Amino acid sequence: MKKNKALSILADNVWTNNPIFIQILGICSTLAVTNSLRNTMIMTVGVALTTAFSSMTLSALKAAIPRKVRMIVQVVVISFYVILIDILLRAYLPEASKQLGPYVGLIITNCIIMGRAEAFAQANGPLLSFWDGLTSGIGYMAVLMAIAAVREILGFGSLFGVRVMPEGFATWTIMIMAPSAFFLVAMVMWWAKTVQAKRAASPKEAKK
Amino acid sequence: MKKDSIPYVVAFTFLICAAFVLVLAAANEGTKDLVAANKEFATQSAVLGAFGIPYSDASGAAAAFASSVRPGKAEGFGSWLATIDGTEYVAVEQSGAGLWGAISVVLAASPDGRRVRGIRVVAQNETPGLGGRIEEPWFLGQYEGERAPGGRIAMKAGAEAAGAPDADKENGSVDGVSGATRTSQAFGAIIDAGLKRVEAIGGGK
Repeated sequence: MKKNKALSILADNVWTNNPIFIQILGICSTLAVTNSLRNTMIMTVGVALTTAFSSMTLSALKAAIPRKVRMIVQVVVISFYVILIDILLRAYLPEASKQLGPYVGLIITNCIIMGRAEAFAQANGPLLSFWDGLTSGIGYMAVLMAIAAVREILGFGSLFGVRVMPEGFATWTIMIMAPSAFFLVAMVMWWAKTVQAKRAASPKEAKK
Repeated sequence: MKKDSIPYVVAFTFLICAAFVLVLAAANEGTKDLVAANKEFATQSAVLGAFGIPYSDASGAAAAFASSVRPGKAEGFGSWLATIDGTEYVAVEQSGAGLWGAISVVLAASPDGRRVRGIRVVAQNETPGLGGRIEEPWFLGQYEGERAPGGRIAMKAGAEAAGAPDADKENGSVDGVSGATRTSQAFGAIIDAGLKRVEAIGGGK
């Protein structure tokens, strides 16, 4: 029973209720970081871990948090984890920290984290909340990594910094700039909604 | 105590903040030395790179820095001196506005500021893939050994599309990054300002 619930949360967060193409949360970071796979991975892992741990912490504390200061406490907990990640990156991965620059601090403003804290952690136990936060992060990561792969291949001709396109390949400058993420996110939404709409429609047709 | 009473709210908020800040302070304190070492390595590797002194890793960089680089006496900005193969070189740090944010470089040149030894970018926030390419070896490599007539190096914007970067070391001109004209121009101005600094230090000696 418990396992089923965990699985349905996973399916929900990665597909049927994906933070990017269904809830349309965390779009700002989608535009900013997705022109290289490496930065995207570091950023999305940071978001997934922050969401997981802050959801868990807030769920564990929920009985003690007064309603009046609920959001303030959420922000304190979220920024705590983000600053912790920033400190660890600066100490152990200085190169990545330099490249990500202000983006790490901007994890705090990622709407997915507060969204999950409000929507899920308020009503569920710490372990489930951790799982919910982690899977939300994975749903976010899956979409961003796909977009980053397209942008890096077309914009730089490489994947994770390794050249994959032939020498004469003319790189698409637009793919490096933020607007291309708008087009790609829209295409992902289009594709996902079409597939979901078809799936929703097909069982009815089978009944007829 | 009631959960929504004012004393509880105040005490709870205070305790939560104190607890989390305490952990952060401990983490910051615990990694302070590591962060400082990273910063020092970043500066040392930039200076060594600009001088063209080879090094293997962080400890190798510290050793090479200690043995061949001498600190300069300039006030208000970082400067370094080194003698390579019997020739004296001066390195300075120089910052200036790029397209999006400040660009900081370490520039090494002959003491009269008329020939560049090398350049390393310390910090920049230019567009990744466009202006951000000023960090790449092909671009910075154009400056290595470049003559600077009158203490200036011309920036030919958009010339990179012609194929190979400018290979002529005597023409006092380099090719800009195509698609990043504004960044290239800003970079050229920063280098010219850096050469003036080198001349001021080198000439006053």
